[in-house]
Amino acid sequence: MDFNLTETQEMLKKVAADFVKAEVPAHQMTQWYKNKQTYQPRLVKKAAELGWLGMMLPEEYGGAGVSTMDCAVVFEELGRGPVPGPLFTSGILSAQMIFEAGTEDQRKTLLPTLCKGESIVVPAITDQAAYWGPQAVETRLSKTPSGYLMSGTKRFVFDAEAATSFLCAALTEEGKVVFALVDRNSRGVSITPHVGFFVSVAEVRFDKVVVSPDQLLGPSGASWATLEAALDKSLPILSAYQVGATQEVFDITCEYTRTRVVFGQPIGRFQRVQDHCVDISIHLDQARWATYETIWRIDSGMPARAAVHEAKAVASDGYYHGTNYAHMVWAGPGTDYSHPMMAHSVLAHTLYQYLGTPGHHKRLMMDALYPRAI
Amino acid sequence: MDFNVSADPPHVVEFRKEVATWMAEQFKGHEHLRWSASWSTREDAEEYKFRRGLAEKLGAKGWLFPIYPKKYGGADLTVDHQMVLETELFKYGLNLSHVFYTLARIVAPVLIRWGSDEQKAEFLPPITRAQICVWQVLTEPHGGSDIANCQTKAIRDGDHYIVNGQKTMVGHHLPPDYLWTLVCTNPQGKRHENLAWLHIPANLPGVEIQHMYMMMGIKNTVFFDNVRVPAKYLIGGENNGWKVASTHMELEHGGDGRIAADPLVERVIEYCRNTHIDGKPIMEDPRVRDLVADMMIELNTLRRFNQLIYWRRFAKKPHPYGGPQQRYYQRMLRLRNGERLQAIMGADALEQNLSVHEVVDFEYAVRTGPGQLHGGGTLDTDRLIFARRLGLGRPTTEKAPETD
Ligand SMILES: Cc1cc2nc3c(=O)[nH]c(=O)nc-3n(C[C@H](O)[C@H](O)[C@H](O)COP(=O)(O)OP(=O)(O)OC[C@H]3O[C@@H](n4cnc5c(N)ncnc54)[C@H](O)[C@@H]3O)c2cc1C
Repeated sequence: MDFNLTETQEMLKKVAADFVKAEVPAHQMTQWYKNKQTYQPRLVKKAAELGWLGMMLPEEYGGAGVSTMDCAVVFEELGRGPVPGPLFTSGILSAQMIFEAGTEDQRKTLLPTLCKGESIVVPAITDQAAYWGPQAVETRLSKTPSGYLMSGTKRFVFDAEAATSFLCAALTEEGKVVFALVDRNSRGVSITPHVGFFVSVAEVRFDKVVVSPDQLLGPSGASWATLEAALDKSLPILSAYQVGATQEVFDITCEYTRTRVVFGQPIGRFQRVQDHCVDISIHLDQARWATYETIWRIDSGMPARAAVHEAKAVASDGYYHGTNYAHMVWAGPGTDYSHPMMAHSVLAHTLYQYLGTPGHHKRLMMDALYPRAI
Repeated sequence: MDFNVSADPPHVVEFRKEVATWMAEQFKGHEHLRWSASWSTREDAEEYKFRRGLAEKLGAKGWLFPIYPKKYGGADLTVDHQMVLETELFKYGLNLSHVFYTLARIVAPVLIRWGSDEQKAEFLPPITRAQICVWQVLTEPHGGSDIANCQTKAIRDGDHYIVNGQKTMVGHHLPPDYLWTLVCTNPQGKRHENLAWLHIPANLPGVEIQHMYMMMGIKNTVFFDNVRVPAKYLIGGENNGWKVASTHMELEHGGDGRIAADPLVERVIEYCRNTHIDGKPIMEDPRVRDLVADMMIELNTLRRFNQLIYWRRFAKKPHPYGGPQQRYYQRMLRLRNGERLQAIMGADALEQNLSVHEVVDFEYAVRTGPGQLHGGGTLDTDRLIFARRLGLGRPTTEKAPETD
């Protein structure tokens, strides 16, 4: 047994922590919710220079060939910012999808530019919000003599604003889910930012967009199972990001209990306030160790699917509930838009939904462990 | 026992018809403004004008405070009449408390309890007739829960008080006419005995109001810079501010009761019936049904708590812990329902639907979870008061302050 990070991991962590301090000061990220501009090309460029985009990919495709844990320590620190932008969507999830299922030609042309931040590929998967899974894919591909036409509306696409292209799930005429790469500037693509209690989310409409056969991922568009395989490697990185974000919420909240004086004493002396902090800490630690164990399984080559779902459920729950408990401590001042809590609060709600709610992942965990008869 | 809120005794049967006809006339051509009765951050000028106009018309008939004497802007009617008004207004999504933004519903009963006869005659009618807008101005920046530690000073100078200090997170996006304010009249005095309550005209020189942009909408910081407030605006007498505050807070902290029920669950069911996954409405999914059932039960519980408090208040039955119980339950229910909404409808629960009003908007309902944990005290101070009213660990139980 050994719960230490390696020397390399300590170093990666420090570089990321310094980056967050230097590039994403708290006052900057609290602007998110006001101006809705989460995509900052400057940050993506710097992240690419530091080798964080596609960092788990082999070097021949532009990656750094690092382990899942190496990557996770970086994303955990980025979560502390929280650093916004398509570092996960493009740099992890799309990169893994293309790597898992792309043709050799697609890997060679798409991945190096993605790693340099010159292209940003954003997954656009479900059409319906009330469910996560192949059943919620409704965008259709209809055959034409030379290829396909794609039509449909992806209601909540995370990081859509940053995309240079979308990796879209669509239903073929045979009813199979496949994936196609669609350039953002293709005729028939329109993007409308959503307004609500979330960040970085937009609706992407495909109106009879022409798709040629070589835009399909892999030789024939791959399948939902491809996405599942890519998620097995990617979700733990998102979980680590949420762990870092929860850690930040916990730290700033504990510090506040020492400095805020009400009824003549620091609020941390009130047992009720202590209870809120204890609850954040439990959410934080259960998310952290579920995530690390999952990553250890992956890096050790053990079966990890159930663990991946467990970690995503616990980390999303943890960030969401941890943030709510923190709100209880900060009370009024924490609900001011200029306060860091607001950035965390909207992000926690957004990530609670992104790639499936905790409830959904709990069910997938059970399905992975105890497959259902039908 | 009778839970029916519209079980009209004979003396109000005609009154219900009168109110129903009158309301239908008011809403003619404005039907789309139904449900516009919350503390909205998204209303337009048309809506505000309509709502404020309606409040003034209700006020002119004495119907906003029907049980008050006519000389105080009421209509000398009974609680049964008041129930008729509450239920008829609710058919339009309105309730008597919030016809437009003013805290009249809390301020008026406190004035009745603590104002002198002259003050009641002068200050009450404009408030009860909805001619003016009053904000409650209590919280200060250095620690809102401890309002007795009030740093806003009001020092007597002849027949004026000179007010200096700062209040925060108060009011809303439209300007007030009066600031209903707790001040410290004697900085050296004993805690709880050094306070006073002032009804401060908002247009006095030295009052400055700055918007704050917050999760639940616009709130404000109010600065008082040597504001000269005539002494006639002192409510409840010198150094009696804490008692006035106690009445005020009891009403604010759930002790006022409510007849209307939260309409959210009906909209959730409508959504679940209209949203299909894999060809089936999600209303048929047992998991969704479980979640809707939990929401419904908790909202029913809240409705019953509100109804009970309302009855006890007007039947003059003691209700020692009703207020903090309602308040704490409502806060936590909103937080739980926010999560349930997200579990049922995914990201649909987070998108603002500008075509419906806030009270029935899912995104608003989700945001209200963390956003309303602290309005008018925190969940922790709710539980603190709750425990005192139960007499936990004490030989005596604390009584609820008197309200009217
Ligand atoms: C949406 C909204 C609307 C509002 N509207 C108004 C308004 O119209 N008028 C107005 O005057 N104010 C208003 N407020 C302010 C509100 O009343 C305060 O936020 C509230 O009283 C708490 O004060 P605070 O935020 O300074 O928290 P603090 O007092 O700083 O509390 C910080 C933490 O300490 C805990 N704590 C404090 N004292 C105790 C104790 N004795 N025991 C245990 N725990 C304790 C709190 O529960 C909290 O967890 C509003 C606030 C919000 C969020």
